[in-house]
Amino acid sequence: MDCKTIHSKLFFYLEGSLGNEEALQVESHIVRCAGCRAFAEELKATISFIEKEKKAELAPFFYTRLKAKLEIREKTAPGFIRYRPVRILQPALFSLLLIIGIYAGVQIGQSGKNIQAAQTQEEMIPFLNEMETEPIEVFLSEQDGN
Amino acid sequence: MDETDIIAGLKKGEESSFRFLVEHFQQKVFTTCMGLVHNPEDAEDLTQEVFIEVYRSASGFRSDSKLSTWLYRIAVNKSLNFLRANKRNKWLQSITGKTEAANHSKLQVGPGGSSHPEYELENEQRKILLQQALGGLPENQRVAFTLNKYDDLSYQEIAEILDTTIASVESLIFRAKKNLQKKLYDCYKKKCI
Repeated sequence: MDCKTIHSKLFFYLEGSLGNEEALQVESHIVRCAGCRAFAEELKATISFIEKEKKAELAPFFYTRLKAKLEIREKTAPGFIRYRPVRILQPALFSLLLIIGIYAGVQIGQSGKNIQAAQTQEEMIPFLNEMETEPIEVFLSEQDGN
Repeated sequence: MDETDIIAGLKKGEESSFRFLVEHFQQKVFTTCMGLVHNPEDAEDLTQEVFIEVYRSASGFRSDSKLSTWLYRIAVNKSLNFLRANKRNKWLQSITGKTEAANHSKLQVGPGGSSHPEYELENEQRKILLQQALGGLPENQRVAFTLNKYDDLSYQEIAEILDTTIASVESLIFRAKKNLQKKLYDCYKKKCI
């Protein structure tokens, strides 16, 4: 086995989850290879902290502290009455604001279109009125005159 | 008191049932939280939050899973939410330049009474390195690894907690170990310690 293969199996070797044959191969390599032996020792020292953290214990009288915290919570936010409605009202209010915002935006957009249509109509009107101010007969007679 | 009695008592709001539940499971929940957050004070706060959640939502417990499965699920969720919130705070602190001071304080060597302070410092660095390596794992791998290594739960029990298959749990734990090993080796090569 080369060093790279050994490195990939070291964690499993240290926790004892390799098969017998593989474990023997890793062991015989570590005995011969100083680099892998050093890394194995380092890895062993590092993962030993898992066992130490595992043994950490809760401080005594945990239930007393828990009960005190529970009582404070009950006093500041007495259960259902103040807790549930807030959770329903907040999203409902935001949804309402969103709907109002979208509706206002659509309304503003539509009124903008109406103004544009009115302006276009006003621009068209002079062209139409020119027909009245100068009837075609007058125009043609002027042409004949020229 | 068996599980059925505890659940019945919790639903009725009986303090004796709640107390029995807390005293029976407090250490297990604490160990789970400790495995994820790596700080005893935070782990205790989270353990309290888990039992407060149990107290509040006991009436909604449907008994379609074991009580312990439910407790572990709440513990994992609370711990992960805590870590996510912590990550956001650290990001904000990094903007304000407060992170360096906080990290520096973590490397303080405790009054262990050892005559080899360098050894103590090395150990402290190894501990931080392990925590960072674990923290760098994807969430699902991290949770599966913690439940297996810290809580000594079987693959079957972990599969029930994570609501997945045993094969999936095996794969998660295998990949977690591989990734952990790789991170630690990368650090070893760079001579982090």
